[in-house]
Amino acid sequence: MALIPISLKVNGTRFERAVEPRRLLSDFLREDLALKATHVGCEHGVCGVCTVLVDGQAVRSCLSFAVQADGCEVRTADGLAQGGKLSALQQAFWEKHGLQCGFCTPGMLMLATELLERNARPTKAQIEEAISSNLCRCTGYYNIVESVQRAAELMQGGAK
Amino acid sequence: MTATFPKHIPAEGYIPPSRQQEPARKQYKYIGQNLKRVEDPRLLTGHGQYIDDIVLPGMAHAAVLRSDRAHARIKRIDTSKAKALAGVYLVLTGAEAKEMTGATAQFASPPVVQYCLAVDRVRHVGEAVAAVVAENRYIAEDACDLIEVEYQDLPVVVDPEAAMTSTGDAVLHPERGPNNIAQQRTFTFGPVKEDFAKAEVVVKRTLRWGRSGAQPLETVGCIASYEPGSGKFTMYTNSSFLNYVGWLVGASLGVSASKLNLIPVVTGGSFGSKIFTHKVMTLAGTLARAAGRPVKYLEDRLDNITSCDNHGSDRLYRCELALKRDGTMLSLRFQVIDDYGAYFQFGVGTHGNSLCQIVGPYRINSIQMELIAVLTNKCQQGAYRGFGSEVTNWMLERMADAAADELKMDPIELRRKNMIQPDQFPYVIPSGNVYDSGNYPSVLEEALRIADLPKWKKLRDEARAQGRCVGIGVATCQERSVFSATEFWSLNGTENPGFTLTSSPESTQLRIDPTGTIHVTLGSPFWGNSPETMATQIVAEQFQVDPAQVNIVYADTQSGFNSTGPGGSRFTVMIAGAIVGAAKQVKDKLLRVAGHMMEADAGDLEFRVGKIGVKGVPQKEKTIGEVALFAHYFRLNLPEGDAFASGLDANYVYDHPLTTMPAADRSHLGIFYPIMGHMCHLALVEVDPKTGKVAILDYVAVHDAGTVVNPMTLAGHIRGGTAQGIGTALYEKFHYDESGQLVTGTFADYLIPTLAEMPAAIRVGHVETPSPFTEYGIKGGGEGGRMGAPGALSRAIEDALSQYGVRCDELPLTPRKVRELVRAGEKR
Amino acid sequence: MKPAPFEYIRPGSLPEALEALARHASAGKILAGGQSLVPMMNLRLVKPAVVIDINRVPGLADIRVDGGELVIGALARHAALLGSEVVAKHCPLMVEAYACVAHGPIRNRGTLGGNISHADPASEMPAVLAACDATIGVRSAKKARAIPATEFFTGALATALAEGEMVTEIRIPAAKPGQGAAWLETANRQGDFAMAGVAAIVAVAGGKCTQASIAVAGMERPGVRLSAVEKQLVGKALDDAAIAAAGSLASEVVRPSDSYHADPVYKRELVQALTTRALAAARERAR
Repeated sequence: MALIPISLKVNGTRFERAVEPRRLLSDFLREDLALKATHVGCEHGVCGVCTVLVDGQAVRSCLSFAVQADGCEVRTADGLAQGGKLSALQQAFWEKHGLQCGFCTPGMLMLATELLERNARPTKAQIEEAISSNLCRCTGYYNIVESVQRAAELMQGGAK
Repeated sequence: MTATFPKHIPAEGYIPPSRQQEPARKQYKYIGQNLKRVEDPRLLTGHGQYIDDIVLPGMAHAAVLRSDRAHARIKRIDTSKAKALAGVYLVLTGAEAKEMTGATAQFASPPVVQYCLAVDRVRHVGEAVAAVVAENRYIAEDACDLIEVEYQDLPVVVDPEAAMTSTGDAVLHPERGPNNIAQQRTFTFGPVKEDFAKAEVVVKRTLRWGRSGAQPLETVGCIASYEPGSGKFTMYTNSSFLNYVGWLVGASLGVSASKLNLIPVVTGGSFGSKIFTHKVMTLAGTLARAAGRPVKYLEDRLDNITSCDNHGSDRLYRCELALKRDGTMLSLRFQVIDDYGAYFQFGVGTHGNSLCQIVGPYRINSIQMELIAVLTNKCQQGAYRGFGSEVTNWMLERMADAAADELKMDPIELRRKNMIQPDQFPYVIPSGNVYDSGNYPSVLEEALRIADLPKWKKLRDEARAQGRCVGIGVATCQERSVFSATEFWSLNGTENPGFTLTSSPESTQLRIDPTGTIHVTLGSPFWGNSPETMATQIVAEQFQVDPAQVNIVYADTQSGFNSTGPGGSRFTVMIAGAIVGAAKQVKDKLLRVAGHMMEADAGDLEFRVGKIGVKGVPQKEKTIGEVALFAHYFRLNLPEGDAFASGLDANYVYDHPLTTMPAADRSHLGIFYPIMGHMCHLALVEVDPKTGKVAILDYVAVHDAGTVVNPMTLAGHIRGGTAQGIGTALYEKFHYDESGQLVTGTFADYLIPTLAEMPAAIRVGHVETPSPFTEYGIKGGGEGGRMGAPGALSRAIEDALSQYGVRCDELPLTPRKVRELVRAGEKR
Repeated sequence: MKPAPFEYIRPGSLPEALEALARHASAGKILAGGQSLVPMMNLRLVKPAVVIDINRVPGLADIRVDGGELVIGALARHAALLGSEVVAKHCPLMVEAYACVAHGPIRNRGTLGGNISHADPASEMPAVLAACDATIGVRSAKKARAIPATEFFTGALATALAEGEMVTEIRIPAAKPGQGAAWLETANRQGDFAMAGVAAIVAVAGGKCTQASIAVAGMERPGVRLSAVEKQLVGKALDDAAIAAAGSLASEVVRPSDSYHADPVYKRELVQALTTRALAAARERAR
C-alpha cells in the first residue's frame, strides 16, 4: 500500500512524514511523533480522551486519519506547558483537583483550550456544555468545571 | 464506650487490643490539609508514563482474536494465512500456548481453570482464541482477520436460574460438577429461626442488581520482555497485586520469582478492575518468550468490555426481613444467586465482602445467607468498587424502604430507630466482623441539614400539586475499608478452603539521604487514588517537614516488600501504618545522631519545621539535612555500636491492624474488614412518567471516613464514586441476549454518564469518627459514593412515582425500565 | 481497533471526486466528517477498499439563501450550521434539533451531507429535513438530480443514492412567518441517538391549522413523515384535544424498531408523548 506524504505543524513544529492512509491521527501523534499526552480510550469516538485541536477546533483524533491533517496545525496537550512551566490552564487543574487518574485530562485540557480561545469569559453553563463532550470515570466532572473557571480567572490576570 | 457483641460470639478476647501508635488528634500540621496533589504536574504535562507510553527497542505488538460466539468447542484453527502476512512474527493458538504456559492465577477452591488463550472450548463471546504478534497493532489485527476457526456450537446459558439446572454440554466446566453451580452454601450467623419466630411482620422482596463494571478509560496492558540467556521476564504492567502475589504469574509461565520482575506504571483508573490482571500478563509473557522480542499487549476497548475479567456483581436476591410492628429490625435472611460468568477467579470473595457489613448500620440480630454461585456464558466477574458489598448496601436499603412502606413508617424514622448508637462501639455484627467506630445518627442529621429536608419536601409537594413526579430518597450505608486476606477463602468449604492466607500487609522503605530528602518507596501502584500525596502528607506530619522534602518512589517486584495495594479502600490506612512504623525507627536514629551532635539527650529533642531541636531552646537546633549529612558521612565521629552505623533508613511491613481467624465451623467469620466508614446519601429527583427519564434535581452525600488526610481528594472520591453509582443505578449494564451476544459491547451502548447526566452539584459533607485501631484514626474512603447512590436513587424514583405504586427492585433504572414500571402501575 | 487497509484518494474538485466515485463504484466510500464512517472502520464493521476524501473539495460547504430556499452544501459542518444566523433565521427547527446531536468535537467535523448519506434511523437531521420538505441535490459524474427528503431514505442505513452518486447540497424551503416548529427527543444521555424524536411544524390561520408536518426519528426508517396524522390535523382547530388525538394516532402509525434500549411498545409511547408535546410547542411558536 502506497504511503502518502504529509506535511503538518504539530505544537508549532513542522513535520514531514509518509504515512499509511489508515494510520489514525491518534497513533501518528503518539507513536510517529512520540507525543504521549494524547491518550486513547475507545477508538470509536465516544469517550473523547483523544481530543486534540486541528486548526483551532477540537476533534477526536481516533476518528481522523493522519493524512487528513496534511497542511493543518495540530495542537496537543504536550504543547501546553511553556518553557518548562505549567500553563495557567494546567495550574488551574492542579489547584482545583481537576484530575485523579489523569487519563481523560489531556482531552479535557484541549476542550478547555478551544473554549477559552473562543470565549475568554465563558459562563459556567458554557463550560459545562463543553466538558459534557468527554467522559471522565474518576472525578464526577465538577472539579474539571471549576478548574476551567479558575483558568479563565488566571488568564484574565485575576489572582484570588 | 462498651463493645457490643451478639450472643453467639464469645466476647472474651474476641477483639485484640489496638496496635495504634499515633492516636487521632485535634490539630495537625499536614494531615487534614488540601495539599495540591504530588502526582499532578507530570500527569498534566503528559509525562505520566502510562503503559501505552512505554516503548522498548524492538518491541512488537499483539492483538487477540476473540470468539464471536458464547459457547463452542474449537474444532480447528488454521493460522497459516495469518502467519504468512508480512510483518507477522508469531501466531499462537490456545493449544500451542498451553504447551508453554500453565493456567492463569486464580483464588477459588476448588479452582476453575482458565488459560490466557482458550484451549479447546470458548465459554463467552469475546474469549481469546488466538494471539498474533506483529510489527504493529494494525498488522496484528489484519492477521487476526486471516485466522480461520471452526467451531462446534454448544448450548448457551445466560440465565442464572437456568444455569442451576444445566446438564450435559451446557455445563461450562464439567470437571466441577453436573451443572453450572460453582458453589452453594448456606451461612447462618446468630439465631435466625428464633428471631423470625418472634417477628410481627416479615417483609419480602425479590431484587435484581444488573451487571455493570468499572470500565476505566484506560484499558489493561502489559509489555513483556524475555531474556533467553538468563530465562528472565521483565514486565511493565498496570496491574496491582504485584508485590503481593505477582509471582503467581511466574508460576503460570513456569519460572521462579527470581526470573520475573514486574514493574508498576501509572494507571489510568481501575476501580478494582486492575487489581490483578494476571491473564494479560501471562499472555504477554507467553508471547514475548515465543516471539523472541518484547511484546506489548494493550487491550483495546472491545477487548476490555468483552473480556476484561472484571465485570461486577450480577445478582438476584430473594429477601425476608423480620421486624416488630414498631419497626425494630430483628433478622434478615436471603437467597442470593450470583452469576459469575464463565470463570471464577476470586471464588465467592464478593460475598465474603458483603458479609462484613451485612446488617448495614442497623442492629439486626441475625443473618442467614443462602449463596448460590453459578457459571454462565459471560465474561467472568472480578472487582468493581465495592466488590459486592455495594450490592448488599442497596439490598438493605431496599428492604428498609419496603419495611417503612409496609409498616407505614417514615423511612428516615425507621432507619434512625434501628441505628447502632454511638456508645455501642466497637460493635460486633452477627457475621463476626467488627465496626470499629461510628456515629450514624450524626451523619444522617448532617445530611438532612445540608439538604434542608423541609425545603425538599416543600419542593416535592409543590411539584406534585402541579402534576409533576418528584421524589426523595435516603440511603444510610456502610463503607468498610481495609480488607483482610481471610475474606478470600473463609466462604469456601471448610474441607477444602484452598490457600488460607492470612496476611494482607502494606510495606514501605523509608530512607533519608545526605541532603535530608526523605525517599519513601511504595510497593503498590497509582490508580488515580492519590498514594503519593497521602504518603507525603503522612511523612510530612511524622517528621514535621515541608512536603517538598519528600520524594515518592515505586518499587518493582525485585525490590518491593509485601504490599497488598489499593482496593477495598485500604491504601491510605495501610500506608499510614507502614510509614509510622518505618518513620519511628528513622526518627529514633535521627534523634540519636542529633543528640550526639548537639550534646543533648535524645529525649530532650523534638522535630519542628524541618529541624530537630532542643525543646524550649529555639536556637539549639539542626536541620534534618545537617543531621542526615552527619549520619551518612561521619561514622568515626559517632559512638561505637550498631545504633550509629552509617545511614538513615528503615523498612516496615505493616500488617492489618485488626483481623482474626474465622470460627472453624464458620458460625462467624472473625474480624476481617473492621475499619468502618459510613455515609448518608440524599437524592431529590424528578421523573417524567411518560418517557421514563430521570433528572436528579439535588444530591447530598455526607461521609464519615475517620480522620481525613486530604479533604479535597476524599471529596473527589465521594463525587466520582457517586457518578459511578449514578451510572450503575440508571445507565450502565452489560446486557447479554439469549444467544450470549453482548448487546452493549461498545461505549455507544454501555452508557457511562457524562456531566450532562449529573445533578447540578453533589453537595458533600464530612463527619469524622476516628478509628481506635489505625494510625491517626484514618479510615478508608476511596470507594466512596458508589456504595450509597443506588439506594438513594432507587427510593427517590419510587417516591416520585408513588402514585403508580412503583417498586424499584431492579437495576439499572433506564428510561425504558422506568416507563415499564409506570405502565404496569397505570394498568393496575 | 484499527481499520483495514485502504487506498486513499483526495480529489481537489467536485468533478475529480465524482470521477473517482464512478471509477471505484461500490469499492469506494466517501469520507466527509468521518464521525460515522471511521468508528465503523475502526470496529472493522466496514472495510472499504477505496476511501475518497472530499474534505478539500471547494465550494461544497456554503450556506446561503437562494430564492426562498436555504441552500446548504453537503460538506457544511454541523457546528457551522448550529452557529449560523442564516440557518437560525430560515430553519430554526434545524438549530433546535442540533442541540441534541452528539457533542461539540463531533459537530466540528461531522457534515450534514455525510450524516444523511449514512442514514441512521436514530439520527435527527433526516427527520428535520423530511419535516421541512427539503430536497437533496445529488450528483454523479454523468448527471445531477434532486430527490425529495421524504424519498431519499429508503431504510435503515439505506438511501436512494445510486452507485457513483453523492449528495452535493440540501435545499430547504425557508421558514415562513406564521409557522412554528419544534424538535423533541428522548435519548438515554445528552447527545445520544434518539430512542424517539419528533419534528413538528405547524401553521395556524383563522383558528384552523393550515399546515402540519410531522417526522420522526428512531423508527425503522429515517425521514418518515406521519401523513395520516398530518391529514387529521389540517383544516381543523389545533386545540389540545386535536393535539392529543394526533399523538395517539402517531403512536399507532409509526413502525418502531427494536433494540436493547427501547422496544417497540416503549417507542410508541415515546412517539405519543413527544408528538403531543412537540405539536403544543410548535403551536405556541406559530403565534
